Amino acid sequence: MGKLFDVALVFEYMPVILSRFPVTLLIVSTSIIGGTLLGFLIALVRLYRVPVLNPAVVSYISFIRGTPVIIQMFLVYYGFPLLLLQVGININRWDKLYFVLISYMLNNAAFMAEIIRSAIASVPAGQTEAAHSVGLSGFQTLRRIVLPQAFFTAFPAFGTRVVNTLESTSLAFTLGILDMLGQAQAIGVRTYHLLEGYVVVALVFIAASMLLEKGFAWMERRLIPN
Amino acid sequence: MIQVKGVRKSFGKNEVLKGVDLNVKKGEVVVILGPSGSGKTTLLRCVNFLEIADDGDLTIGDLSVRFKHATKKEILRVRRRTAMVFQNYNLFNNKNAIENVMEGLVTARKVPAADAYATAKKELDKVGLSDKYDAYPSQLSGGQQQRVAIARAVSLNPEVILFDEPTSALDPELVGEVLAVMRAVAREGITMIVVTHEMSFAHDIADHVVFMDAGVIVEEGTPKEIFTNPREARTKQFLDRILLKYDYSI
Ligand SMILES: Nc1ncnc2c1ncn2[C@@H]1O[C@H](COP(=O)(O)OP(=O)(O)OP(=O)(O)O)[C@@H](O)[C@H]1O
Ligand SMILES: [Mg+2]
Repeated sequence: MGKLFDVALVFEYMPVILSRFPVTLLIVSTSIIGGTLLGFLIALVRLYRVPVLNPAVVSYISFIRGTPVIIQMFLVYYGFPLLLLQVGININRWDKLYFVLISYMLNNAAFMAEIIRSAIASVPAGQTEAAHSVGLSGFQTLRRIVLPQAFFTAFPAFGTRVVNTLESTSLAFTLGILDMLGQAQAIGVRTYHLLEGYVVVALVFIAASMLLEKGFAWMERRLIPN
Repeated sequence: MIQVKGVRKSFGKNEVLKGVDLNVKKGEVVVILGPSGSGKTTLLRCVNFLEIADDGDLTIGDLSVRFKHATKKEILRVRRRTAMVFQNYNLFNNKNAIENVMEGLVTARKVPAADAYATAKKELDKVGLSDKYDAYPSQLSGGQQQRVAIARAVSLNPEVILFDEPTSALDPELVGEVLAVMRAVAREGITMIVVTHEMSFAHDIADHVVFMDAGVIVEEGTPKEIFTNPREARTKQFLDRILLKYDYSI
């Protein structure tokens, strides 16, 4: 087994593990983009108190916020195929990655819905009234006055959510996804050097989240007027 | 001509407007006075459909609607004939001065951007803000913000502008500049309905003064009639109190 911790192996594993980083990026980007779109619709349902849908999305949000991501992932992985089989759709042969992407997207949709809803609600009522008074329709008011202001309010929380998602993607390996952690695990099983792989994964996560945080802080300064 | 007839509005069990009639001739300045909670703001908000009145009719020029049966289209039509100046200015925070004025013209009225820009410039110049086109609301004083808001209202060329205590949120030293702009607007012959506690301003500018209390119009008349010779005890009481409080002489 040799040395307990071999620094040289950290460098050796780095490129192999780093080559799995795109998997992580894929989970983060699809779940953030899909989650934001879905979350926006959910936020509108809540803000306009759409009958029937509103209580449904409220329970959905508290379910997502009240359960661990890993449970949600298992439920999607084992539950979705059963559910769809009832209506005659067989997705048993789907790549596992699709289930992971769906889970993370559904997870982010709930969090994004809350971020977007509270940002929209924080725009003072006077802004909407002024827009109405100059003749803007409800939709024009939302698009031209309320959403741009809500965007600035939501931006910091949005950035935090992206970083949180990045960290939480490491759970995907529990379904057997070959992401960075999955790769480190695979190397460890083969070589009995688990720790070095974990150190590499930790380093990549630290670097990536620092980059993201810096990037969002920079965008915040650039985007938000005065 | 603007005619409000029998407007009623309740919030829950609280009846705030108990059948108010108001007639405003073209080019007239009507000042509404009244103690806090008498329903002045609610009346203006009903005219602009920011509140939906429970009953009553509204006529603006050749457009007549029943408050409670107004369709979305009718509401939009009423809003295109009216403009509102709010106590807290309510400039669009995501837009600079010139964009604030242009927004209603371009988005609601579909005026070509170049024409709207020219109009906005002209109106901002008129309120003395030719050096503030690009300033965002957060970069403007309260008085400047309210002047942009007045430019925004005037630019829409409405049949009436509703002012709800336009100087109440201002520091005392900024009140004068806004009142001066309002005098200029009145001189242009624009129809105005103004809720204000500025008595000497009301006295000078109003063609017609309305005194409201507890959701009804108690008394109305020319400024001279109301200020120097009120008939109703409630009007007298209110005027004594407010003139004492603000130490104005007319
Ligand atoms: N959205 C609302 N919901 C419930 N009650 C309201 C609402 N708006 C106004 N009211 C009530 O209606 C009454 C009249 O309010 P309004 O704002 O019209 O008075 P006002 O004459 O403008 O007073 P002020 O001089 O203080 O501005 C008050 O009792 C107020 O509490
Ligand atoms: Mg008021």
